[in-house]
Parts: sequence; structure tokens; C-alpha cells
Amino acid sequence: MKYFKPIQQCLLITICIFLSTKLLAQQSEHLIPKDAVTVFSINNITLLQKISMDDLVKYEFMEEVQQELFDGSTSGKTLKDSGIDFDQKLNVFYGRTDNYELSGFTFGIKNKDQLFVVFDDFERMASNYPGVEFYGSYFNNLIIKGNSAILVRVEPTMEIVDQITDSIWYARGNENPWYMYDFMEEGIDEGIYDNEMNQNDTMEGFDSFQYSFDENINEKNYYELRDSVQMVIQAKYLRNVFDELLVDNVNLVNFDKRFAQQLTHTSEGIFYLDNSRNVQKARGLWYIQTVFPSLYKDIRELYSGNVLLGDLLLKENSVEFNMEAHYGEALGSIYQKMNDSKFDKNVLKYIHKDNTAFFNYNVNLREAYEQAYKVIMPILTDEKNPQISANVLTIELLNEFVNKDALFGTYKGSMFGTFNGIQKIKTTKIEFSYDEETFEYIEREVEAEEDMPIFTLGFTTDRGDIPQKVLRHLSRLTSRFQNMGDYWVYKEAILESAPLYMINKNGLFIFTNDENLAKNYSSGYGKLAISRKTAKKVRKSGFMYGHINWAQAIDRFPRDFFRPEQNEILDAMRGKTGIMELTTSKTTREKTEFQLVYKFEGEYENSGKYLLDLLNSIYVISK
Amino acid sequence: MRFLALFGFILVFGLTSCIEIIDDITIKNDGSGMLKYTVNLSSSKLKINSILALDSLEGKKVPSKDEISQRIYAFGKKLEEKNGVSNVSISTDFNDFIFKMSCEFTSLSALQNAIKEVVQEETKEKSSSELDHNWMSWDGQKLIRSIPDITIKKTKELKADEIESLKQGSYTSITRFERMVEKCENPNAQISKNKMAVMMRTNPYALTQNYNLLENTIYLSPLKN
Repeated sequence: MKYFKPIQQCLLITICIFLSTKLLAQQSEHLIPKDAVTVFSINNITLLQKISMDDLVKYEFMEEVQQELFDGSTSGKTLKDSGIDFDQKLNVFYGRTDNYELSGFTFGIKNKDQLFVVFDDFERMASNYPGVEFYGSYFNNLIIKGNSAILVRVEPTMEIVDQITDSIWYARGNENPWYMYDFMEEGIDEGIYDNEMNQNDTMEGFDSFQYSFDENINEKNYYELRDSVQMVIQAKYLRNVFDELLVDNVNLVNFDKRFAQQLTHTSEGIFYLDNSRNVQKARGLWYIQTVFPSLYKDIRELYSGNVLLGDLLLKENSVEFNMEAHYGEALGSIYQKMNDSKFDKNVLKYIHKDNTAFFNYNVNLREAYEQAYKVIMPILTDEKNPQISANVLTIELLNEFVNKDALFGTYKGSMFGTFNGIQKIKTTKIEFSYDEETFEYIEREVEAEEDMPIFTLGFTTDRGDIPQKVLRHLSRLTSRFQNMGDYWVYKEAILESAPLYMINKNGLFIFTNDENLAKNYSSGYGKLAISRKTAKKVRKSGFMYGHINWAQAIDRFPRDFFRPEQNEILDAMRGKTGIMELTTSKTTREKTEFQLVYKFEGEYENSGKYLLDLLNSIYVISK
Repeated sequence: MRFLALFGFILVFGLTSCIEIIDDITIKNDGSGMLKYTVNLSSSKLKINSILALDSLEGKKVPSKDEISQRIYAFGKKLEEKNGVSNVSISTDFNDFIFKMSCEFTSLSALQNAIKEVVQEETKEKSSSELDHNWMSWDGQKLIRSIPDITIKKTKELKADEIESLKQGSYTSITRFERMVEKCENPNAQISKNKMAVMMRTNPYALTQNYNLLENTIYLSPLKN
């Protein structure tokens, strides 16, 4: 046995070294800056097990990536030749701070030589960080640490660039930079500077014009100064990001445990969005932040803990996207009250079994209002500001005087919508009729038919008498509103051509352009409504349920709105069957879970391939 | 005529809608006359309204009603300024999408020259083979008329449903005179019961496939002294 002891020790040491190199090795996710607010992380191993790279690079959305990476100098090559280590995760990120935006992606490196055949525009730069290589190309920065890299771009916000530029500009004793612009505008109006502007109708024209008035041509004009400021602060912010990442070793993984936890999931991809930091950096809040700092602090607290975490799962015949919306207790209490609503089963009567897509949104606006009043009003009341005090008083008076029973009885908040594809609807057209004697012609209005997407949108109401009152009055004002007994019609309401029908029955107020529904099924579709099985799913889902028959939706897309190449992709998708379904959990004070499942049938190589087909279609359509 | 025909066809190709065009020309014995041109898109008004509600379509900016109107009126204004053309009248109806243009002319050659000049100004084309020839000629006894070559190449790019739309449209060409028509060479031409007008009808798709379809020579009865 004693002979085995050294062997055992050697074996143990080897295993320890192997494990420590695996566990402690720099991974691509450790290069994600902590300021990243949105991250989509792809677990390459599992994805690539199912999708060949040769197939991957055929997609139109990948062509764009390839162009970016290969920029023609290595045409004919694919991502396979890029030297990227597909055993590491690929993490795409975006973030925004008060002063700059940063975006990019981190990835693993397998072969550095191959990588620089791809990233051939990047030039090596001096590095102040031991063991880290720096490369730059225009505004892009490629940093390699160990076997991982980050491609990042940091852009200062225009607000901070303008602020610093103005400060320097005025400190140098300059006039308002826009003064010259105004003067030049007058010159253009009078036709004095026509020639100059024709030759230089861009900003260059402005600069050359300005030079002629400047005493010292060696001094920077406003725009040149701004460019310089932008470059300097860009370098400064970039250094801050790198110092934090490479010296302090602070990254998103060790900054936010929720993200670190999400990374441990074995799904094909994970998603992270820190909404609380999004709120803090929202451009619209700068006014509140500046004028009402304590209110801004309270809003931040309200949104603390607000994060979206998601998993993408590729299965044999389905693609699943599971998402959890987390929030703080105060906001959670409002969401919980809002989503604690009794399901209105009357909705189910108005969803046809052959619909292309439908959704149901089940909320209790009254409860949400009461809870929001409880949570938000104390925050506003504490604010010692005359403007906010006046607003608080207005809200409190409205709360006392407005008949909330009538208001929230009329609009309870729950709604549903359906899309039934494209159908012929009745319109009118002008026809010319000719006199055989002279061939003179007269115009006459005749009935016509045109294709239109058919939709229905309905709201739950306890006070059907109130919309009825409004419609009655409107019908007195214009003959375009007509009471047809079971329904109302508003002629030429949609795009000044098609009628809109309104049904006020069964505790629902419904808008639709479906003449068949209004005329023949104003009390519901009866046996033609969705099946019990689907109805059960809708009832069981939390505050929201959505359903899309992808095959029908594709077939019913209006072709005219897409370019020929987009229609080609859509045509490729036609004939493939699939159902997309969105369900939600019951909302608690801490979180709400969402699940988007895309199930499909047919002859597909695998679900990853089908997902990419789908992504490509969406990419092509939205391009 | 060419510009007007193209205007109609731009709408057709741009919107692939069902279109009706009426091209109505009156020729007096002295060669002067009146042209009335009508484009009726009322059967596609829902589609056009939905397109006008968009900012852009197929990567191109969708013009507003005001911009379309301005362009049409600018065309009318330019035409009015040309020699031999007067009383240009434009009407735009954006409820039913019916656009009308009418003008008086001293001679067919004056009308054709005026249209060619405006088209050149509008399209910035210095010369074009399609603008070189005259599509109407009048010698006091007979009228020879045709339809200019309408970008036939474009129809090859059309999809089946767009072709169907064009087939459902109509192109009506009416020629009126101050005296009776004796005969016409095109067998598809109809002579009115009072013998003072000739009408030919086809659909825009057929016209794009054969622009000679509406070619006709109309012989009139001799002038009475």
C-alpha cells in the first residue's frame, strides 16, 4: 500500500491543478463591466452542439456580424475561422451611466492568430495593465486577458460633452457659439452666402465661413473644441472602465449576485436587465434629479430590486423563454394588488376558435390605484416644494371628488384582443359610368370590398350604461354613429374608409372591425368560441395570456408591406406550423414569472435551427 | 400624357392598388382642344390611407397628403406657364383619392411639347427616347394617337397579386371631336352613338404588356364649308 501513496498524492495534485485551472481560469463573463445593464449571454457549448457553424453563417443576421468582423479582407471565411473559443460564453452587453454609454461583447479566444486575421483593422497599443493586451480600431477597443477578450465601445453622452465644452468655451472669453450660426442663417435668407452654401452645404461650410471671421485661425472653433473634449473624456471613461475591470477586478459577475446566479443556469442562453439602474439613468428623470433630488431618491428606492432575469431553452420541438420580473416590496405591493383580479369568463365567448392570435390581460385597476395612492402619495407629500404640493393637493381633491366607483366600474383595466387575419370588408368607391350616346361620364358612389386586418379589442366593464350614454350623444352629433340594436357602428372610422363596430354586452365593451362578429355574434361565438382546453389555459394563467398561431400569422401577413427579399424569408417560414404561448404566474410581492413557449411540429433538424429561422425572419422584417 | 400616365403608374407600382385612369381629349376642327385626365384610386382608399399613415415603406419615405398635393399642383403650374396651354385646372380629392387635371391647348403639338418640357423639368432628364416622338398627330381629317411606352420592364418585377390588382384596374381613352367620326383602325375602338367620340378601354396590366394596345387612327367626316 505504501507504494500507492505517492501515486495517490500525485493523482490528487494533478486533479487539483486541473480543477483549479478550470475553475479559476479567466472566463469571458468576468470581463463584463459592472455598468452593463442589459446582458444576453449565449452558452456556446450547448448551442453549437445543435447548430453547425456552416448553417449559422448562412443567416442574414449573421452576414451583418460577419461583415463587421471580416470587413471583406477575409471574404470566404466564416466564424469558424475567427479563432473564437466556442467553449466559452458569448456575452453581449449594453449599459448607460450618467456620463457615458458602453456596449460590446465578451468572448473566449482559442487561436489568437486566427482572431487577428478577422480583426485585421485592430492595431496593438501600449498597455498599462500587466498581462493584458490592448488593441484599437477607431472607437472600438479589443482587450485580451488570458483566454478571454472584450470588444467594447464607450461613448460619452452628448450632455456631458456639451457641458464641458461650453464651460471651456466661455472660460476662454468666447461669445455664444450659436451667434455666428444665427448670423449666417440671416445671410442665407438674404441670398448673400448662396455660393458658399452651395459649395459646402454641410457643417464644413459653417467652419470655413467662421474661419473668415476668426482673428486667430490656429485657435479651435466650437466644434473642434467639442471633438477634442469628446476624445479626452472618452479616453478618461474608458480608463475608468478598464481600471475597475482589470485593476479592481470588479465586474458584473461579482457586482450583482443575481447575474452571477443566472450564469450558473445550464440553459442555452440567459438574459439580464437591471431595470432599477435603467430607471436611475433614464434621460427623462434628469429634471426630477436636478430639481427634486429627494423625490428622485425616493423613486430610486421604489425601483430598487427591479430586475428581469431570463433563460432561453432549446428543446426538441419547442423553444422556451422563461423570465422572472423581480421588484422591491413597495412596487411589488402595487403589482400584486393590480394583478389580483377575478377572471372575466365572458371574454372567452368573443374569441373565435380559428383566431390567428389573441391575448387576455386581467388586472384590477381600482385596487392598483388604491395601493399606488398609499405608496406614492406619502413620498410626494413629504416633498417640500410648492409645485409638488400643488400637485399633491390636486390629486387629493380629485381622489375625494371623483366618483371612483363609476370611473373604475367603467374601465376596470381588464381587456382582451384578437387578430383574425386579413378579411374582405365593405367600403365604398367611386365608379364612372358612361353614356353610350356621347361617352360623357358621371361619378357615382358604389359599394366595394377591400382587404383589412380584422381585430377585436374588448374591455371589461360594470357600467355599460356610461359608454352607452356617450354613444347616444355622439349619434345625435353625427350620422356616422348609428345604433343598430345589438351593436353600434361608426362609419368610415378606420383610415377614413372602414366602419368600426362597438358591442356593449355581457359586461364587455368591444371595438371591432369584424362585421360578422357585430352582426351575427354580438352575444358571443357560442360553439365557435375557443375550445375548453384553451379556455382553461387562459383562466389558469396569471394576469396575462397570449397565443399566436405562427403558421396562420405568417400566411396572413399582408405581403405588400414587405420587400421582395423579406417576402422570400416569410415564404420560407410558410408551411411551418407552430404555436407561441405566453403565460404568467400569480404575482407576488417579490416577482412575477413569465413563460413564452414556442412549440412547433414538422421536419426540422432541431429546435435551435428553427429558432434561428424565426430570429432571422424577425430580423429581416424589422430591418 | 406620358407624365400623367406615369403618375398613374407610379401610384400603381408604388401602392399596387386597383386603379382607374380616364384620358379624355377633345379636339376641335382648328386643332385646339381640351385634355381631361382622371386618376381614380377610390377602390383602394383603405390601402392608400394605411400606407399614408406610415412614415416609410420599403425603406422609402411615404409622402404626406400635403406633399402629394403640392407636387401635383406644381406640375399644373408649370404646365400653365408653357406656350399653347391655358386654363389648367387641378383637383385633388383625398377622401376618395380621385385626382383630376384638365387644360386647354391651341394645338396638339403645343400640348405635347408642353408636357415634354414639364416632364424634363420634373425628372431632370435632358433627353429620353420616350420623349423624342409625338404620340398624337392631327392633320384636320384624321387623328393618329397612341400611348407612350410605359416602363414595361417594371412589370417583370411584379408579384402575382400585384398583377391581379393591375388587371382589375382600367384605362379608358376617349377622343371627342366637333364633327362625326367615319371610322377607326383599331378594332377594339367603340364609336359613340352620336358618332362624335371614340372610346377604347383596357386594363393597366394589358397596357404595360403591349403599349400599342390603344394605338388608333381615327378618320373624320369631311369638313362642311
